Amino acid sequence: MVISYGHNAFSSDSMRRMLIERNGDDAVFGHFGAAAGYALAAQRAMCTFHTGPETWKHIAVGQRKWANLNPLATMYQRTMSFDDYNKANWVVEPFRLFDNCLMTDGGRAIIITSSERARDLRHPPVLIAGIGQHNPSSDVHQATHLTGPTGAKKSGEMALKMAGVTINDIDACEIYDCFTYTVEITLQDYGFFGPGEGEDWFKDGTIEPGGRMPVNTSGGQLSEAYYMGLTSLSEATMQLMGRCCERQLGPTTNTKSPEIVLCSDNGGILQTHSCTILRRS
Amino acid sequence: MADYTKPLPEVNEDNKEFWTGCKSHELKFQKCKSCGHIRWPASIICPICHSRDLQWIVTSGKGKIYTFAVYHVAYHRGFENDLPYTVADIELEEGPHILSNIVGCSHHEVRCDMPVVLSWEDITEEFSLPKFRPLS
Repeated sequence: MVISYGHNAFSSDSMRRMLIERNGDDAVFGHFGAAAGYALAAQRAMCTFHTGPETWKHIAVGQRKWANLNPLATMYQRTMSFDDYNKANWVVEPFRLFDNCLMTDGGRAIIITSSERARDLRHPPVLIAGIGQHNPSSDVHQATHLTGPTGAKKSGEMALKMAGVTINDIDACEIYDCFTYTVEITLQDYGFFGPGEGEDWFKDGTIEPGGRMPVNTSGGQLSEAYYMGLTSLSEATMQLMGRCCERQLGPTTNTKSPEIVLCSDNGGILQTHSCTILRRS
Repeated sequence: MADYTKPLPEVNEDNKEFWTGCKSHELKFQKCKSCGHIRWPASIICPICHSRDLQWIVTSGKGKIYTFAVYHVAYHRGFENDLPYTVADIELEEGPHILSNIVGCSHHEVRCDMPVVLSWEDITEEFSLPKFRPLS
């Protein structure tokens, strides 16, 4: 089975139309699109626990360092400092430009088959060890889960249980990162750190090349390319196969050689969530 | 009013009573006659107990800001001259949350949990918008 995604989101206006087109009477009050929806969630988080740009800059800059090792990444040749992050214009406050993901022309595909058939293929196969889904609400304006627990909590518990592992067994994460805050709240709800502990957890290069928990090792949707859930799933698969060249987890990037990688995806404004745990066969 | 360039409300059978109420400066929501839940957006069935038995009530128009976002980019031409403007999710005293704008103060002054009250904006002959300003 092939799962594919392709889009000319950068050069056409189709993604913009999908996101910005009128969503009920929200448009009457000038409310459009995903950035503003996640900005509402992020602002509430800032008033509920310790977070904000001082936390998110570590995510934007950390992922950019991975992109700088990935020739396929949109931002391969563009480095980013904390100063660059802080000087970028506001889009919808509290998000600056580099809190937002890219829009990309391109696509991704992954092939799923039985482990028996996969054994005969050219590349080492990767096993789907666990999956979990949780979809906490349909109407985001009535939601009170935007600061957690989001769907990540139950999805993560389900996927880890199915895989027969704990959060301590995870070697790297490929997190759906439509916005920087999405990465923070997702990792927080999976249990990597407690509410408000994100800034401490991310600082000192935790998620970067050489860090103790690599996150979004292709650059992610913030700095590589936006292919919805396939950015994370394809990168986790390639890392576990050992096909990532300069950015390969293990000795090349002074990180742990990966056995188990956790992937996330979410939809709406943190309204749906899916967690997948992949394992080296 | 003739040159109002922003999107107008889309009236349907569910929300007609809401927008008619707004025209006479009354903020009205459906209250479930079975379980008492006050809901928004309007719908034919209570999302809590699934009863179809409802009444419309007029709310106080008081609440507090649950969260907000400050737009520095206009996604629609009608809002270009308003930048930066504030969209907020307001938690009303009666329970429901409503999306609206915060007016009557600088966006720098807006905070979560800030008490707010209704501030009606008459935009056309047919429509008035329920916006909110800080409770002074």
